[in-house]
Amino acid sequence: MIRFIGGRVLGLVLVLLATSFVVFGAVHLAPGDPVSFLMRGRPITPEARAALTEQYRLDEPLLAQYFHWLGGVLTGDFGRSVQFRQHVGTLVAEKLPVTAILVGYAALLICAAGIGLGILAGLKPGFADRAVLVGTGIGTATPAFASAIALTALARTAGWPTYGGGEGFGGHLKHLTLPAIALALAFGGLVARVTRAAVRDELGREHVEAARSRGIAGAAVVRRHVLRNALGPVVTVIGTMVAGLLVSTTMVEIVFSVDGIGSLLIKSVTNKDFPVVQALTLLIVATFVVVNLVVDLLQPLIDPRLSLTGRGAR
Amino acid sequence: MALLDIDGLSVVLPSGAAARPILDGVSLTVETGEVVGLVGESGSGKSVACRTVLGLRPAGARTSGEVRVSGRDVLAMNRGALKALRSGEVAMVFQDPRASVNPVRRIGDFLTEGLRAAGVPRDRALERAGELLAEVGIRDPRGALRRYPHEFSGGMLQRVVIAAALAGGPALLLADEPTTALDVTTQAEVIGILRRTQAQHGTGMLFVTHDLELAAAICDRIYVMYAGRVVETRGARELFDAPRHPYTAGLLAAAPSLEPDATPPRPIPGRPVSLAENPPGCAFAVRCGYATDRCRTETPRLAADDGGAVACLRADEGILTC
Amino acid sequence: MTAAPASRVPSAAPAAKVAAPPRRGTAWMRGLAAQGPLFTAAVATLVLLALCAVFAPFVAPHDPETIDLGNSLAGSDADHWLGTDQSGRDVLSRLIHGARTGLLGPLLVVAVSTVLGTALGLVAAWRGGWVDSLLSRTMDALFAFPAMLLAILCVAVFEAGLTAPVIAMTVAYTPYVGRYVRSVAVQEKARPYIESYRVQGWSAWSVTTRHLLPNITPNIVAQSTVSFGYALMELAGLSFLGFGVQPPTADWGTMVNEGQGAILKDAFMPALAPCAAIVVAVVAFGIVGEGISDRIAKRER
Repeated sequence: MIRFIGGRVLGLVLVLLATSFVVFGAVHLAPGDPVSFLMRGRPITPEARAALTEQYRLDEPLLAQYFHWLGGVLTGDFGRSVQFRQHVGTLVAEKLPVTAILVGYAALLICAAGIGLGILAGLKPGFADRAVLVGTGIGTATPAFASAIALTALARTAGWPTYGGGEGFGGHLKHLTLPAIALALAFGGLVARVTRAAVRDELGREHVEAARSRGIAGAAVVRRHVLRNALGPVVTVIGTMVAGLLVSTTMVEIVFSVDGIGSLLIKSVTNKDFPVVQALTLLIVATFVVVNLVVDLLQPLIDPRLSLTGRGAR
Repeated sequence: MALLDIDGLSVVLPSGAAARPILDGVSLTVETGEVVGLVGESGSGKSVACRTVLGLRPAGARTSGEVRVSGRDVLAMNRGALKALRSGEVAMVFQDPRASVNPVRRIGDFLTEGLRAAGVPRDRALERAGELLAEVGIRDPRGALRRYPHEFSGGMLQRVVIAAALAGGPALLLADEPTTALDVTTQAEVIGILRRTQAQHGTGMLFVTHDLELAAAICDRIYVMYAGRVVETRGARELFDAPRHPYTAGLLAAAPSLEPDATPPRPIPGRPVSLAENPPGCAFAVRCGYATDRCRTETPRLAADDGGAVACLRADEGILTC
Repeated sequence: MTAAPASRVPSAAPAAKVAAPPRRGTAWMRGLAAQGPLFTAAVATLVLLALCAVFAPFVAPHDPETIDLGNSLAGSDADHWLGTDQSGRDVLSRLIHGARTGLLGPLLVVAVSTVLGTALGLVAAWRGGWVDSLLSRTMDALFAFPAMLLAILCVAVFEAGLTAPVIAMTVAYTPYVGRYVRSVAVQEKARPYIESYRVQGWSAWSVTTRHLLPNITPNIVAQSTVSFGYALMELAGLSFLGFGVQPPTADWGTMVNEGQGAILKDAFMPALAPCAAIVVAVVAFGIVGEGISDRIAKRER
């Protein structure tokens, strides 16, 4: 158990280290010298040059620079945003809540609708199944920005209010409904398809027929044996889509003018505000890695055959 | 009144436009306390016949005939009656315990599920489950209740399945190849437990297997199936000593024997056919060394003889008395 | 076992006796046509899109970049079937021209990543070892670092345009292809005919190029077709964000970006038409990919 968790955490740290090195090293991949890259489009005063050289230790060897930068990152110091003249940490902390609510909201919709439709399609062959297949087929083929655009057009026709900020948590939630639906469509379709396949797979298994042969009521067989056993692949797919969800948020936030970290990422890339890009990239990767660690730890609880010791070596 | 009375059971599977028959006029009986063997190669329909007793039919299958348990027709039962039948009177042991036990639930859960559904309180159900495990020879039954199926060996898990089958106090036990998926060494143990519990409780048992010798060793009477039909039935001893259908004789001759003066095993030529691809006439004719032109055109009926019944046109000619 | 007599008489001829599985040629293609009307419709859609892309200047009724501010956001009429955008450009013509960059980007990504990934996957299947572990480690990291995020990072470092996103996505797609090809190749390698060629003294290289690769090509094509749809979606997304194809070039993603403002003026066509084009194309790629997979599954049975 401890070995398993230790192994997973070590893997997590390695992925994060590799990512941080890529994110850091990208500055040096850019054409031209790092200072002019970091100050792209802005006049470089000697003071600014000195400040950046100091901030990134640009006069030291690459690895020393990296560890200095990493040390800062670990204490929450990502440097200063060039466009907003503000600490990156403060900036991100300011924009994070609205994105967190949006993504959380979408995740809820994805789980509820995706799993619900998947179960329906899996258990009821025929019309319901075909309808869900066609719907999810189109859903998974629709990029988030297209769903968002279609929903704004729909809201405009129906006279619904589009995103306008909102006061407090409740206000956010109300205004984030359309963006959350836009974000949820493609991923919900994917979850529905995986759920449907898992339910079908379990329904055909002998232990389900054996449970029926013992006189267990139909609803209990579905709940205790079919759905319970189909949970594994569904949880896995939900875990793996976290990174994609965070990237898709950018497009949805742009369409609905949500002032979250998605919009911030796009603005920062457009304005070449590299410290912010670094921080947000790391944030996305870290979120993914942590969520998937949780998923990995949940798997043995879902399927006891995946004993904790057996998979620790990974 | 027989405990189990299958009467003229036919099952037809819809397969696209052309319906596919899998059972044709199968009749058999099991009396209280009797062990009856149902023997045949894979695809002969023996498992389908066995499952029909619990009202488990292949999806979309059409059935005709009657399957009576203590006089009541299973095929005509409503959902409630079927549920009562499955949780009480009739229980089934499947071939592969690894496939027939839900791998993600604890053994205690598996054993008490049926009892709990029948309204037994949790504590009482767990206690009863422990007793059942002790009865099939599981050591530390209390501890076993908290373990998962993958922590048991195949033979031990099949004992758990038998314990679960006994939970409802069944009058009839269906055993569908209960030892085929197990190691040879554990087969004998599982067979022993099945026979012992069957004898103790006075349960009737329908034992489905492809192994005629095994059936002859443990059963009182045997039905031999070929391509969806019963081709011969009689007492186990008589069937083993003096088979009257060439297929039964072929099955016996195909099994290797350890006796020093035994003839080497002779496999039955050709491959088993299913009822669906069945040509007119006797289904076994293409593989039968005694077949005549008449065998290829006329379908033999199961005809009673002294002590049993056989479906062979040439049974009375004494072709097998060599 | 089958190869034992053959190995004593090394010649090319006995190969015919052991080699059972080829599923190439026209019979295979004809079998595909029997996948049903949906499959046929999807293929027809893709052919139509490809023709539009190639012959855009001849097919499009108007020049896609001619601005006519006096005719901004016109509704659909006989001259402009899908109306005009905010700059008065013909939406249909831009849609037809947009198929060019819309298909070219994914084509580059899928073509290069398929070639590289297939090579890596085959080496991993024969060799195992470090190629194998490199592939699976990269895969783990890429789940955390999706193609689009890598592309966004590339744009931040280099500059916006089709080049950086296409390179980033090729890098990100290659290990996916590699892992898939590896798994299929390992299965195919286990079949007896490969072993019998090896026993006859064929080199790994010639068995791979002449038999293994041709036999798993349908699988690779099916996989690439589905990937094509994903690449199309992601590249369109990058263009929409302003990181991919740059205006005034007509591209589906950029068209959606430019058409966004028109929605507030109740003109939906400039933004919704390219959205619909993307969805139709991706669905068609998905259906064709799944159709080929089904066909393979049926053959295998």
